[in-house]
Amino acid sequence: MRWTRSWIRTFALILLILPVTTFPAQSSDFSAENIRGPHIEDLYMVIIRDPDAQVLALEKGDIDVLGDITRPVDVERLSRNKDIDLSLAQGFHGFFLGFNLRKAPWDRQELRQGAWQSIPREQVVRDLFQGYAAPLSSFLPPASPYYEEGIRKYPFDLSLARKRLSDNGWTWDEDNVLIPPGADTSLEEMELLSPTAQVAPTTAELSSRIASSLRALGIPIEVEPMDFATMLSKIDERDFDTYVLAWSMTRDPDSLYAFYHSSMDIKGGYNLPGIHDEELDVILEELRWSPDEASARKAAQRSQIMLSEKVPVVPVYSRYSIGGISRKWKGVIKSDVTTVDNIWTLLNIRTSEGQEKDLYWCLADEPRSLNPFGTSSAYDWQVLGMIYDALIAIDPYTLEDIPWLATSWKVETLSAGQGDREETLLTFRLRDDVFWQDGEPLTAADVKSSIDFLKDQGVPRYYDNVSDVLEVRILGDHEVQVRLDKASYWYLHNIGGLPVFPEHIVRDVQDWRNWQPGKMAHPFREGLTRLIGTGPFIFREYRPGEFVRFSRNPLFWLLDN
Amino acid sequence: MSVSPGILFSGFWIIENPEGALYNIRNELSDLPLQTAPGGIKGYGVESDLMNRYWIRRVLSALLVLFLILVLNFLLFRMMPGDPVSSIIDPDFSPEAKAQLRQLYGLDLPLSGQFMVYVKQMLTFNFGISFLTQRPVWEELSSRIPNTVVLLGSVLILSSIIGTLLGIKAALKRGTWIEKIVLWAGAISFSFPSFFVQLLLLFFLGYLFPLFPLRGTVSIPPPAGGIASLADYLWHMFLPVSSLVVLGFGGWALYVRNLMVKEMGEDHILLARAKGLPGRKIIWGHAFRTILPPIITIFLLALPGIVSGAVITETVFSLHGVGRFLLESVTGHDYPAASAAFYLLALLTILSNLLADLAYGLVDPRVRFEKKGRR
Repeated sequence: MRWTRSWIRTFALILLILPVTTFPAQSSDFSAENIRGPHIEDLYMVIIRDPDAQVLALEKGDIDVLGDITRPVDVERLSRNKDIDLSLAQGFHGFFLGFNLRKAPWDRQELRQGAWQSIPREQVVRDLFQGYAAPLSSFLPPASPYYEEGIRKYPFDLSLARKRLSDNGWTWDEDNVLIPPGADTSLEEMELLSPTAQVAPTTAELSSRIASSLRALGIPIEVEPMDFATMLSKIDERDFDTYVLAWSMTRDPDSLYAFYHSSMDIKGGYNLPGIHDEELDVILEELRWSPDEASARKAAQRSQIMLSEKVPVVPVYSRYSIGGISRKWKGVIKSDVTTVDNIWTLLNIRTSEGQEKDLYWCLADEPRSLNPFGTSSAYDWQVLGMIYDALIAIDPYTLEDIPWLATSWKVETLSAGQGDREETLLTFRLRDDVFWQDGEPLTAADVKSSIDFLKDQGVPRYYDNVSDVLEVRILGDHEVQVRLDKASYWYLHNIGGLPVFPEHIVRDVQDWRNWQPGKMAHPFREGLTRLIGTGPFIFREYRPGEFVRFSRNPLFWLLDN
Repeated sequence: MSVSPGILFSGFWIIENPEGALYNIRNELSDLPLQTAPGGIKGYGVESDLMNRYWIRRVLSALLVLFLILVLNFLLFRMMPGDPVSSIIDPDFSPEAKAQLRQLYGLDLPLSGQFMVYVKQMLTFNFGISFLTQRPVWEELSSRIPNTVVLLGSVLILSSIIGTLLGIKAALKRGTWIEKIVLWAGAISFSFPSFFVQLLLLFFLGYLFPLFPLRGTVSIPPPAGGIASLADYLWHMFLPVSSLVVLGFGGWALYVRNLMVKEMGEDHILLARAKGLPGRKIIWGHAFRTILPPIITIFLLALPGIVSGAVITETVFSLHGVGRFLLESVTGHDYPAASAAFYLLALLTILSNLLADLAYGLVDPRVRFEKKGRR
């Protein structure tokens, strides 16, 4: 299954950790300020595409770090290797069965609830993933701080599912096919859209089992395997009965608005099931435009409870994140919410002998452009995440916001004069000891120019982050204020999670679409390119198909000088 | 002359019905000159007018094919369901942001407008910017072509030579264990899935007995110096090349063996034997010479394949090649990249076809005989 990640998701994945837990907030004394690093000489991101070759390379010692290990057989093999430190954490992945609520029979709520109850998720996950995934019973990943435990659940029970339908007037014909209440004829044959077994064998098998479960309930359905792009196109055209799709979600619950608000049931929108429910819309709007954290939490809770009643989709399973690192490195940061392949590990590790050595990190595919404005590829952002920083970071243990380039921030909701129109005012206080990799100091002007550039140029990747920005004001060398239309708590993450670009470099960008900063010499600092940030590593070289090389940033603000 | 469409095996084109197709080629060429030429002279076709007309016809038909490919290349990709933007499924990427992206890619233009842009790009060889990588398509292709050409070029040369030699050997040793081994080896080589063989090689020779590297074309950090770099490159290419040779020689061996077996039973070989010519002369001077044209034809028709890439091999050995780029361009609806790649492949195929015609004329003894006769 393939899904596309936006820059913020991938940026979060690398810069701000890929964390995960069954339950939120574990207490920790973690503080970025306590880290003094990196203690690595050069960092090589080695491009290895084949999963077998990746595992062999880790075992052989050709690479030190390998993330996103997905195949149970690889996990089993690596877990037996004493030289590899393997970590497992629950991820933000969610796999769902979706229905087309725009037409019968899926417009019937009890049928969707019955479908949920007819799928033996525990057994399917055990059979297919050998314990390296968890059955999912929620609309947010359990790792999310906004995950609501108290939602209605439908554990597998075929007889209860049949009873539910029977109580609502459904009957069965002699072939065990359901007859809707008040109808004379049985349900017609339906399709379950799925990627082909060649592309996604596990998903194809899962689809087959889901279809089999639905048939046992009396729903005449067959899997329709197809090219993934074709499948997405059919879903986008709303030309389907049911489908299976996996999503990579974030810690914030406002994605529920994009998934289930009626206004999102448009071409290109993500309300794929086509749920239109006024009551749900009201709650999702509250969630989307929550002015503060407390109201956001309450709206997230109510949204999930209501979704579990309406069942626009059936959650099936969530895949764990698994990563491995060679045990020759000490100081690895990992927990039940964080796999080893994270930026904190890179900042904290050193060899067991205490020497500073080169580190080899596996990149599972080619970076596509290394243009921070144009790319949303996860692999590009694994590279760019070493270079660019954001204003706020995410605590690897609690998933809460922690200071990064900004030492503190303030979120205010203002009345905007006419009617009940509101605005949000974000004020960030910046660190005063941060320098760009070329030696220039980071100031509020850099933050302002970054946001202004993205807004003025209409860069699609950042469109949703900055589209509501009304004004960016510099309050001092290290203080900046962003005014946004409407009130929303999520603006803090939209703006605070943006990568910050150096104003003295970005002002010379003629056409951001063709900008290739990694190939352009720095305007005044010999040996550097224009691909510079405030991050811990300096970009040195990219050899297509081979590797990306970085050296340690001697000006990095967390470095122990 | 036209060559019937073929099937692709292990990266090479082979004519689907070799004997039939080759006879067609031969007959077509043979027929041409035997018709009455404008000067009233009958004979094999080296009459200049006739030959000129023949080549003009060939070039014109090649241009027509190229034009059709140009149109199909445009239409087929746009007939595929969805577009580059519709494959983005990300709740953080709103419908408004998608609209921005469509505008950026020029997908909001009418189809006719897109076609004009496309034709201009193809004819000027300025292929535009890849949707996926945001880099010029030409830059993307040119960074990948060297690896692919070295990989598949050397595989083509090695497997054709090895396969041809083994095929001849098997044909000459009919009924012996040599023929049986070649037939078995050929069949096994021909039918083994490439990923299986390559992963086995990678495991045994890259990991268990680490004689060769697991990935890429360069060590990390790279060695200094030209000779060291070249040696390093060859060391890295050994496994990918040898795996494809192992998988590719079988087809050649079986094909050449069949040709040679048939040829060795021909009357002119019997005559040569009856004349008491030495065996080596009969084999290489008569039999092999006769089957050389179809071998050369197939070799030349396989040439375009050396830039089309080998997706599985590139993936298993993490090579920066054209194959995977092409696949991702097609599946990702990257119109500029996919169109450019297929356009270049079509050009190369047409050129190879013309070259095959030319080469056939050069190696066909009857044509050479006629040339001598004219002097």
